[in-house]
Amino acid sequence: MLLKFISLPITRTVLLFSLIMLVFSFFAALLAPLLIPIIISFALYAMLEPISGALERQGMSSTSSSLTVLLVLLAFSALAISLLMPHLSTQLAELQTQLPSVWKTLIGFAKETSQFFASSMKLDAETSNSMTQPLFDKANELSKDILITGSNLIIEFSVLVILVPIFTFFLIRDYRGFRNYLLDALPNNSFELGWIIYHRVTHQLQEYIRGIMIQSGIMSVITSLGFFIIGLDSYILLGIIAGILNLIPYVGPLLAMVLPILLALAHTPLEPWIVGAAVGVIAMAQIIDNVIVVPAVIANAVNLHPVIVIVGIIIFGNLFGFIGMIVAIPAISTANIIFRGLLQGLRTRKIETNENNADQLIGS
Amino acid sequence: MDKTNHPFWHNLFHRKADRIHEVTELWLATPLFEKISYNRCRELVSNMHPRAYKANEKVFNAGDIGESVVLIRHGKVEIRAGDKILAELTAGDFFGEIALVIDEPRTANAIATEDSELIFFLRSDLEEWIQRSPKDGALFMLNISRVLAARLKHTNLLLSLQTN
Repeated sequence: MLLKFISLPITRTVLLFSLIMLVFSFFAALLAPLLIPIIISFALYAMLEPISGALERQGMSSTSSSLTVLLVLLAFSALAISLLMPHLSTQLAELQTQLPSVWKTLIGFAKETSQFFASSMKLDAETSNSMTQPLFDKANELSKDILITGSNLIIEFSVLVILVPIFTFFLIRDYRGFRNYLLDALPNNSFELGWIIYHRVTHQLQEYIRGIMIQSGIMSVITSLGFFIIGLDSYILLGIIAGILNLIPYVGPLLAMVLPILLALAHTPLEPWIVGAAVGVIAMAQIIDNVIVVPAVIANAVNLHPVIVIVGIIIFGNLFGFIGMIVAIPAISTANIIFRGLLQGLRTRKIETNENNADQLIGS
Repeated sequence: MDKTNHPFWHNLFHRKADRIHEVTELWLATPLFEKISYNRCRELVSNMHPRAYKANEKVFNAGDIGESVVLIRHGKVEIRAGDKILAELTAGDFFGEIALVIDEPRTANAIATEDSELIFFLRSDLEEWIQRSPKDGALFMLNISRVLAARLKHTNLLLSLQTN
């Protein structure tokens, strides 16, 4: 009975799939601190590998071609940073000077609200303070945390600048060989299935990554333009942040509204129309995104149920933080392809075995 | 004395190159690579997948999902439908080319009848090659169409002989 249950294609698929996911989870947990540089390096690898391949076909060694491609990338990055950095650093400085006034506006707003509730509910000053003080304490802690996170971000960025080129170089030089070594290590009866699943996964991931990169770029441009038109300061920085946050489905656009709204609230004198306009810019960008960009660029790159997407974002966000929210969709999509591929492969083997049994029965 | 001419270095660095050259020559002798240059074929062969099979080991079963054409470098392979032997193939022969064109399960069983080394050329590698070198890719697709048309003609002939 148990043997019959285990021999069912679905049972074997679930067992094998669980084993693969266990191995993946182990490596994801092990490499969690390096997840961001690894992901960026893989994206760069996908972009640069065709160029390195072309150079190799012209007779260059794999090390020389990888190094050449990487040096060209670094030169372009340095050029882009030198062109963009002055604008960004100015806008970052503007944002830093505005943050205290954003904070002041928020605290003032919170105090006014608490006073309004205290007077309407006829509470004495002591009771009212005991209710609101924990909130203000928490807000102060949060502001300190933001400052610490900000300084940590600078350290993390420095680590990225060092690690990403190194990882990318070795990926371009050695990834194909390492992949072939791993997949060719599969037993003869699973070798083709392994390659089929691998190619389906990489094809889908390439489509998805290419799609969201374009989508993110378009969203950055649209929102930057929108913020510029309504007269919001730091419009380029806000646009870039909105573009990056747009990588997170459903939740990202909501998060993208927070900073522009706060900046609009800090506008002195307070002009409510700017707050509305900031929300309007994000909403308009979302409409353009959903009506034009997504159908044209992403289409059916990932065909997952919205509930799975939202639950996945929450779980991956809890496990790996912000980067977890971004990788949730491609990770779930990859798991989906692996499961379907295994089921397809093991199911056809089962059918074949049954046919053999049938042939034997007819023969006997 | 030049160290690279020493047999030790030769074995270490030239064994793979020799194998690639030999497999390239085998593929070029097939109708699939007709009119395709040695260098183009060699470039493809360096990404192909050699596999070793023991005698009586199944290469694939009818119904398996597959995506490669297989070349025999050494050994023998039988193509069977049930108990009926459809073909006996030896070094230089290839089989399973339908899987390069359509995403359908294998239509027959392939079994190595002696210890064999088989070279797998995957559809995904072909697709990548077509994108990189469209002209050669088109030539290859024309060749594979000719092979499949010839097989279809042969099957039709067999069927007409059976019905007559």
